[in-house]
Amino acid sequence: MVHSLDPRVGRLPTIGTPGMVVPKVPLDQLGTFEVFVQPKEGKPFQHEGIVHAPDLELAYVLAKETFTRRFTCTSLYVVETRHVYVSPTTEGGVSVAAVLPAITGPDGEPLSFELFMLPKRGKQHVHIGTVMATLPQEAMHRGFQQNLHGGKTVYNLWAVRTTDIRFTTPEEKELWLTLPEKKFRDAAEYKGGDKLKAFLEKQRP
Amino acid sequence: MNNEAIKELLYKMADDLLILGHRNSEWTGMGPLLEEDIAFSSMAQDKVGQSLALYQLLHQLGEQDPDTVAFTRNAGQFHNAIITELPNAEYDFSLVRHFLFDTADALRWQMLTRCAYTPLAQLAAKVRGELRYHTLHANTWIKKLGSATDESVSRLQHSLDELMPYALGLFEPSPYEADLIADGLFQGEAVLQQRWLAAIESVLAPTHLQLPDVVLIAPVVGGRQGQHSPHLQPLLDEMSEVFKIDPAAEW
Repeated sequence: MVHSLDPRVGRLPTIGTPGMVVPKVPLDQLGTFEVFVQPKEGKPFQHEGIVHAPDLELAYVLAKETFTRRFTCTSLYVVETRHVYVSPTTEGGVSVAAVLPAITGPDGEPLSFELFMLPKRGKQHVHIGTVMATLPQEAMHRGFQQNLHGGKTVYNLWAVRTTDIRFTTPEEKELWLTLPEKKFRDAAEYKGGDKLKAFLEKQRP
Repeated sequence: MNNEAIKELLYKMADDLLILGHRNSEWTGMGPLLEEDIAFSSMAQDKVGQSLALYQLLHQLGEQDPDTVAFTRNAGQFHNAIITELPNAEYDFSLVRHFLFDTADALRWQMLTRCAYTPLAQLAAKVRGELRYHTLHANTWIKKLGSATDESVSRLQHSLDELMPYALGLFEPSPYEADLIADGLFQGEAVLQQRWLAAIESVLAPTHLQLPDVVLIAPVVGGRQGQHSPHLQPLLDEMSEVFKIDPAAEW
């Protein structure tokens, strides 16, 4: 055992079991959560990415720094990946409305759903509104009936029960208070190329 | 306003934040999972940023510029509590330290939003969002791991028992305690410690963790007067390495 003041030395993992040949232990992976960010006041929330976390609350905590430590942000929310319902995907100007299966299943108490549309392949899903429905599929139909997509071609649609989302509370909006000042986290602001060029110029005889 | 009293307050806060910010940044690239690595590194950066803002206030009060103050003093001239300089061990240790320190730090800043020295009150209002995140992060992890598995509970409990005497050292009274209170600058370490204990208790209550009986613990003090553990000087040597080679270096 090496003793060092450097914490990194003491933290190296042990590999293998003395005197034994054993199968490699599978990785202990946490579940995934979808992260939605509102870049500016009045703008719709957009899908920003995914975090690993042990539960919804920690997903919120970890999403905050993973996806909103740069640029601007006014609000954030997260939902467990399996709670996002995904429509079939279309291409070539065909809207999801044309391929969405008819509503099936029993009637029940209507719940609130959030809808997110993909306006273009390779882009992010963007929040288009809230509807009341009993099932995700029905929520998608309602979205089209209410023209929440504004007549645009929808290539893919997500539906999420509002109650499955961990939202930012009004008091938590202050989390991003000092973010606009943290320009040092922006690679462009750091001007690494200029610094390197100046350094090389200085080295020249 | 008693300038010496406010300077003493600013120095200990700034030094706490700079030293713990540096310590916590040692986890960058080595956190237990990517997302946590990023979060912990960001909070470390926040702490260093807050220390800079406090050193700038000190500069306005006639002290040397922030870089000189941060990089050229020896261990004996630092006023941080010893808890902030202790080396990292396993992650549970750093997480419990983060919880104990940041709870106190957030409450201190909150008290300072009513400070009679306006620049400090304004700074306290400005950083409140960062502090909200730091305590949300700490509390959420402590609640989660404090009731998760036998291993997570025993690891946190062990770190809690080990760190408690050092945490109490955060509230070492200032020689200017009476002046700070009389001038409406700060309500004092005793009030802060009381609020801190109540906050810690309420987070730990729903977990399987036991708060050690603070009455039976001798606080580890001395840090505020420059009496430190052997761990501070190596940290300062590493932190000031580039500055000592080239004081004008930008990186």
